[in-house]
Amino acid sequence: MSFILGTSLLAVVTALACALPGAFVVLRRNSMLVEGIAHAVLPGIVVGYAFTLDLNSPWLIVGAALAGLLVVLCNEWLIRTGLLTGDAPQGLVFPALFAAGIILITLDFNHVHLHTHVVLVGDLNLAAFHQLVVNGVSIGPRYLYVMLAVLIVNVAFIAIFYPKLKVTTFDDQFAMVLGMRTKLLNTAFMFLVSVTVVAAFHAAGALLVISLVVVPAATAHLISQRLSVMLVLTALFAVVGALAGFWIAYVLNAATSAGMAVFYGFMFVAVAFIDKLAIRVRRYRRAEAASAGRPAGNLGIEGLLAKPRYAFAAQRRQEESGRRDGSAPAADTQAAE
Amino acid sequence: MSTGPIACQTRNLSVAYRADPVLRRVHFSVPVGSVMGIIGPNGAGKSTLIKAMLGLVTPLTGTSEFFGQPLDQVRRRIGYMSQSTSVDWDFPTTVIDLVTMGTYGELGWIRRPGKAERARAMASLEQTGIPELASWQIGELSGGQRQRAFLARTLVQAPDLYFMDEPFQGIDAKSQQAMVDVLKDLRAQGKTIVIVHHHLATVRDYCDHVTLLNGSVVASGPADTAFTKENIRTAYKAREGAEAFLETAV
Repeated sequence: MSFILGTSLLAVVTALACALPGAFVVLRRNSMLVEGIAHAVLPGIVVGYAFTLDLNSPWLIVGAALAGLLVVLCNEWLIRTGLLTGDAPQGLVFPALFAAGIILITLDFNHVHLHTHVVLVGDLNLAAFHQLVVNGVSIGPRYLYVMLAVLIVNVAFIAIFYPKLKVTTFDDQFAMVLGMRTKLLNTAFMFLVSVTVVAAFHAAGALLVISLVVVPAATAHLISQRLSVMLVLTALFAVVGALAGFWIAYVLNAATSAGMAVFYGFMFVAVAFIDKLAIRVRRYRRAEAASAGRPAGNLGIEGLLAKPRYAFAAQRRQEESGRRDGSAPAADTQAAE
Repeated sequence: MSTGPIACQTRNLSVAYRADPVLRRVHFSVPVGSVMGIIGPNGAGKSTLIKAMLGLVTPLTGTSEFFGQPLDQVRRRIGYMSQSTSVDWDFPTTVIDLVTMGTYGELGWIRRPGKAERARAMASLEQTGIPELASWQIGELSGGQRQRAFLARTLVQAPDLYFMDEPFQGIDAKSQQAMVDVLKDLRAQGKTIVIVHHHLATVRDYCDHVTLLNGSVVASGPADTAFTKENIRTAYKAREGAEAFLETAV
């Protein structure tokens, strides 16, 4: 596999692995918690690196991810104590851990050599440097397969727990009354986010990984009426942004993660603008439907593309109940009994 | 106190948020088939009482039993309708999906809602009178429609005991009528309903039992014996709204 193909594939897989859990991060309003995790894992990475001498080692990834989970749990605990409000608990925990990591690096802990720019924004090209060679043939960067494994784990987790993730994200208390173990699911999910952030550290560093996690999902959220559609659009934006960002950085000879983050930003602005235009069309259609006495159905970009499934049935029912002098369905069942 | 079977019973329940006590030694029970109104001024702990009973808030002391059993044994028989302001209505989901969430408790860890679950959700939407909104994004609903969608999500569970937190909060007359029709229907089927309500003038229209709350229970029982002038005055102390109500009614 050529170096460019391998590295651009790595960019796509890393973007996907970060963006899919990102959809739930955005909906749970945990975006800045991811920023906290991305900083807090640094001491874990430095210590792990000192022992394994390999940023892609599974031991390092899991160990450092536990440090990231520490931010999540400390954050929850501090909120429960009521000593601090808002997002202040995060501001208290993660800088301390990040600073500990910086001190370890500057003290040359166990002769660890991590460059400042790798810590901050990562280096995809450096990450892709170690190629995996099977029977003398290069099959792409070793790091590509690490990120691929993380992507598969993330997709499997979301696929298996999709209904639970959906209901706990939307209405945590309702899920609790149904008897779901929302705290366990939440902790498992945040651990997975932490693993993803650590794994992507090599490619995007502590600063830019939040862009990979949050921006594609935030862009998809602008125009999605359903969670499943939002996940598909999130993946689409991640892939497009990764490829475009990679080539921009390649042409400009700039950092790849920075190219991706900047292109993600442009994509968000463009989609927000198109959505504003679509809202005008929606309002027009709704007014039109109302004046014609039709149900307006599903509005929004998705609704503009597809004929709503239940609109016909609803219309028919309305006509039926109209024939029976507008008697409400509830009253019918009562009369039947 | 009535002597029939008891749907739920709470003993010695105390709750505090940090250093502030919200509920003190709350003790009351709800007979099967009754509509119990939890009535009290703002900050009386009405919502907190329901949340503590359902395990959403950890109480300092006290226990709650449902049909004589702890909550975990009877979750399927209990439905909770939270305040509609408690969720993010920008969440990317449609009304029918929201209502289908009511069936998730039966699905276990792996199973997905299928055609049967969606059909039940649709029936609940018809019961609350908003089937035509099934494919709308939830953010497009009005206040009253949101409450009706929440009610439909609770109905789809087909529970025997309903907990409703301010279901009439900020809704239009049409939605209110639709909700009242559903409540009457449920009552006719012998279901038990616990309803947090703060509008004194309509208490007797909806509730046959009343618990007057102000941090602790002022009175609890059939509306005729519990919802009296003296008890209301005690619960509300000298609040203007209550005084105006007392001059005209009861």
